[in-house]
Amino acid sequence: MLALDLLLQGIVQGAIYALIALGLTLIYGLLRILHVAHAALFTLGGYIGVIVTNETGSLWLALIVAMVLVGLLGIVIYRLAYKPLLDKSPLVALIASIGLFIAFEEVFRLVFGSYGLSFESPPLRTQVDLGGGLLISHSKMLVIGMAIAILSILAWLSSRTRTGIAWKATVTDSQIASSFGINIERVRYLNFFIGSALAAAAGVMVALLTNLVEPTMGAVASYKALAIIVLGGLGSVRGTLVASIAIGIVESFGTVYIGHILDRDALAFAFLVIALMIRPQGLFKAG
Amino acid sequence: MSKVTKVLASVVLGTTVLAASISGQADSIKVGFNVPLTGFAAADGKSARIGAELAVEQVNASGGVNGKNLELVIYDDQASPKESAPLAAKLITQDGVVAGISGSYSGATRAAATIYQENATPYISAYAVHPDITRSGDYVFRTSFMGEVQGRAGAKLVGEMMGKKRVSIITLANDFGKSLEAGFKEKAAEFGIEILGEYDYSIKDREFGPIVSKVKAEAPDAIYASGYFFTAGPLVSQLRAAGVDVPVIGQEGYDGEMFIKIAGAAAEGVIITTSLDRDSTEPLAQAFIQGFQKKSGYPADMVSASTHTAVLVLAEAMKQVDPSDKAALRDAIASTSINAATGHISFNKLGEVRKSVQVQVVRDGGWHHFAVISDPVLLAPPEE
Repeated sequence: MLALDLLLQGIVQGAIYALIALGLTLIYGLLRILHVAHAALFTLGGYIGVIVTNETGSLWLALIVAMVLVGLLGIVIYRLAYKPLLDKSPLVALIASIGLFIAFEEVFRLVFGSYGLSFESPPLRTQVDLGGGLLISHSKMLVIGMAIAILSILAWLSSRTRTGIAWKATVTDSQIASSFGINIERVRYLNFFIGSALAAAAGVMVALLTNLVEPTMGAVASYKALAIIVLGGLGSVRGTLVASIAIGIVESFGTVYIGHILDRDALAFAFLVIALMIRPQGLFKAG
Repeated sequence: MSKVTKVLASVVLGTTVLAASISGQADSIKVGFNVPLTGFAAADGKSARIGAELAVEQVNASGGVNGKNLELVIYDDQASPKESAPLAAKLITQDGVVAGISGSYSGATRAAATIYQENATPYISAYAVHPDITRSGDYVFRTSFMGEVQGRAGAKLVGEMMGKKRVSIITLANDFGKSLEAGFKEKAAEFGIEILGEYDYSIKDREFGPIVSKVKAEAPDAIYASGYFFTAGPLVSQLRAAGVDVPVIGQEGYDGEMFIKIAGAAAEGVIITTSLDRDSTEPLAQAFIQGFQKKSGYPADMVSASTHTAVLVLAEAMKQVDPSDKAALRDAIASTSINAATGHISFNKLGEVRKSVQVQVVRDGGWHHFAVISDPVLLAPPEE
């Protein structure tokens, strides 16, 4: 029963990693930019989630507001920070991204204070019995449910709609896609909107689980999400999903059984190193 | 640098400072104060600063030190040794302070303590816990508990006073958490405690799902968990959300309003070992608690009580001797025996404080009296 419970905790954590890393991998796949500032959007999502829930009492409204606002901010970041740098070396965009991330952290500190914010009455704390005494809180069910729902919608979008097919075409070869009349710029906007909205959703989910959002909460997410997309095979959506869940599960069992030797991050990176020694190209090929 | 040149250097530096302080303003006595006003420890730093300033105001309002006013020279050390060491040198050599107080964490305090010791200038660590701080030398003192001492008090509290024998330990893997764990485990068997499981987490962790599941499966009578408010708040919140409702015993890292704000209703019933009794009827403690609330706009916490105590210790010692004679001032601090907001204070020969441990519980959204542990043998800090 404990093993099942730990597996469940690992999947919950993995689902959060997946929501964060997916945006990152989508952006990398399309533009070859390592978007470190993505983790700041995750933090902002958490803040908006807590503030709107405390003001209105509705977590659902908070989730939607967070996803829409942060999604729009993602577009603004692309337009103002990355677009002018697209013809430069990818390192330039990476440095801009790190700068943005640091700037965002300080802005959060100035605007929201350095002590962090919490839900006045944490939502979805009640538990459900999955049978045999395996309990899961509504908030954790929501995390898993959200991840499944969002990923299914994305899969459907990308294979069954014109926009999705245009998106895939642009990822594969943007020049040819453009010559077929696809508006590349629109695809990029959409990409940043969706990726950033997913990060915001992850921020709200983390706030639900920990009941604390802080200016620095993106720090761990920033490097772990990078590790995950590398492990998944840079740019591969499927690889990112598998890597997220795998790292979530490794951390879940690891913190309990060998946590006094290796802390959570060390565990995740040890796993990454071993996995990449076996498969240097990552788990899956991009695409 | 050989020992002789080191001593020579300190003497030369010492006399220079002496000369500077004599030639400087004669109507105030300067005391150095390093405190994290920005960065991750800024919340504690704010309380630490207000606590120290309150003590200075109170001392000056009641006639100062032999007719002279105390003056704090405050610098932001960001809780970083890289900042605190040069600041300590600046305070001693340029600002001409006669003594220093740390309102900061262990890393920053250790680095500064070395500089103060080299310059034969008394230094009091208000709430940093690392054992090596006082081992810097005979000019360094500490007015808060070492982690080990508080850990031992925790074992007595859990095993004897609360009668909880089956305990899971959750430890913050840094010097603070590890020393608490060591003290707790040292005395666990003596108080009949069986340790069911031990789990470490890093200071970056906020999500404790796996540890909570494992602890829940162990079904302990109590949980001994170390941490600061920003880790303990989420931890307690997640333990309660998972239906683990046995007592959680923490320490002074929880102490303050932020823990209650984060954990919310889940904070109710959490018990900690700390330095300040909110319900104390002692006039000194009451004057501090009310004075702090008035000055800061929020309730007093362990950190502010500790810096307040450190300033009082220094002020009382200064009244006994000529404060510009640092060696005499050091001796006067070493023989301290005063009452402060955190209880009766004296030091052992290492410069570690001897005082009672206050046990507080969260009730109706605030910290309240639960018990006092004043067993001098159990709470004896190391002598060397």
